[in-house]
Amino acid sequence: MSSAEDKQEQWTRFFIRVQYLLKRGPRSLRRLSGSELSGLIDDYQALTADLARARSLGAPRSTVDQLNRSAVAGHNLLYSSIRRPALFSESYWLASFARAVRRHLWAVALSALMFFGSAVATFFAVQFYPSLGYDLVAESFFDFDPASAENLHNIPSLVRPIVSSRIITNNIQVTLLAFGLGLTAGVGTTLLLVFNGVHLGSVAGWMTLHSKERALWGWIMPHGATELLAICLAGAAGYLLAAAIVAPGQVRRSTALKRVGGDALIIELGCMVMLLIAGLIEGFVSPTSIDYSTRLAVLAVSLALWAAYFAGADYRWRKSSGPSAATARNQKRPQPIL
Amino acid sequence: MEDTVFISTPDNVTLEFELAGLGSRFCAWLIDSVLIVSLILVVGVVMILMGDRGADFWRTVFHGGSDWLAPWNFALLIFFVFLIMWGYYVLFEGLRRGATPGKRKMGIRVVRDDGLPIGFREAALRNLVRAADMLPPPASLLGGLAMLLDPKGRRLGDMLAGTLVVVEKFEAPADSAAAAAWAARVEQGRSRQALTLPQGVISANQIGLIEQYMARRYTLPPARSAALAWQITEPLLPLLGEDREALVKRPDRAGYCERLLLQILEMAKGNRSTSEPAIKHRAQPALF
Repeated sequence: MSSAEDKQEQWTRFFIRVQYLLKRGPRSLRRLSGSELSGLIDDYQALTADLARARSLGAPRSTVDQLNRSAVAGHNLLYSSIRRPALFSESYWLASFARAVRRHLWAVALSALMFFGSAVATFFAVQFYPSLGYDLVAESFFDFDPASAENLHNIPSLVRPIVSSRIITNNIQVTLLAFGLGLTAGVGTTLLLVFNGVHLGSVAGWMTLHSKERALWGWIMPHGATELLAICLAGAAGYLLAAAIVAPGQVRRSTALKRVGGDALIIELGCMVMLLIAGLIEGFVSPTSIDYSTRLAVLAVSLALWAAYFAGADYRWRKSSGPSAATARNQKRPQPIL
Repeated sequence: MEDTVFISTPDNVTLEFELAGLGSRFCAWLIDSVLIVSLILVVGVVMILMGDRGADFWRTVFHGGSDWLAPWNFALLIFFVFLIMWGYYVLFEGLRRGATPGKRKMGIRVVRDDGLPIGFREAALRNLVRAADMLPPPASLLGGLAMLLDPKGRRLGDMLAGTLVVVEKFEAPADSAAAAAWAARVEQGRSRQALTLPQGVISANQIGLIEQYMARRYTLPPARSAALAWQITEPLLPLLGEDREALVKRPDRAGYCERLLLQILEMAKGNRSTSEPAIKHRAQPALF
């Protein structure tokens, strides 16, 4: 019987040891000496062999459970340093957002079509049927006069942090919805993009009708490029998820979703950063009394910067590692969804 | 949705995970929601106390007064509330091996579908798309339906992140007596050797087969179990000195075969060899 008690003691010792190391965090394995580590691995292998034997020889359920729990803990400890490829490729992680966007340009195009398409359509609809404005434009925007001298000073500089943080959180929430609602096969994303597009288009149409468009564009321009682009890209992230559900290809829908998750997450996180920048501009630059041409310049600069980023964020990297690295990247590219 | 999933590891170990049910996941969500609300309240109070004059702050919030005294505090408050609402799950699941305080309380946690603990990537993915699973907003019908229909009980966010929610008992296991008893059997299983009878030898492999059959006989359908018992016993009959033709006609053939097999195991366990009289002479084994 003594060997059985030994075995029991060995299991318990292994379980307690592993629980302790797991609590110490992911780096606890590295602090072990070589002999400690190999002893741990030996114990793990002995335990898993016991588990397999317990199952096939019909050990009591509680024994199998106990061994299984220890094996899971051991497996989690010993294998958790093996991870999936990093979300942000380590060679030049700043470029991973641009790369993910470039990889899924079709989704960006679709999202832009929904968002800007509905905005432009509404804009012209309001031009031709001005009464539509009363239906579409929110009441608070009827007398909206964002860039007039009085209104600018309606937002005193002290309040700007609050305005800014409200705008940032609100916008990020919108992009999170556009992203997450992609899981409704894109219906939610489309609704969200179209609603926002209609809102934008109707206000722009209303302002143009009342010849205040210069004031409106003056207000929008400094932060607009960044903000609208970010919403567009979040929509694209949503459509990526939608594509995995609508057209999963040769795999199960849940597998297709899993494959596309990483890229969609990178795009969504990138959008959050973009909106942080946009919100700071909207809170602190747009309400100031800088003149129209300066606003135009801010727009031009931000557009140019984003274009440069998305087109060539990994330019340096590509140049230094030559064509072989580029092919390697192509091979790593996941299968197209559509 | 099934009860358990089996995951094979690279070293060919099969790990068993019990899936968390709708009930415990809902309870965990409830606890986490309460914690989120109280966290927001605490942060709000701290922000007010940190402001120059709390009273003026409240006046600003409720009456839209013009003397904004604590704008930076208010701005930070908005940020923190947002961070708590969206970041609570991501942070706890990412840092604490897939268990928020609510999940920990309920004894469940999130694991990757290869059995490893989740990281920030999975935590972010499965929680940032919560909006879809919550549809229609508070009712969570979409996510609940997905969980019920999916064999692994995953909501949409779980499929996206490649995760499962499983039961995890956090305390150390205590049932040592049963395990020790089983371990004793393991030792005997290891020391399995051929059994030599006067009429011939029953090989160690055959004894292993009998052990496996005995362990599993109650999990098999009765007809299958009886057929197996006959298949295993039939080649051994001459060794045991049994009359095959007489046995075929017996109505309780399966039970008789099982008793024979048990006797073989008894003898193998005792490691007794040879000189014992053949089993036939014991009409009814002591076990029954």
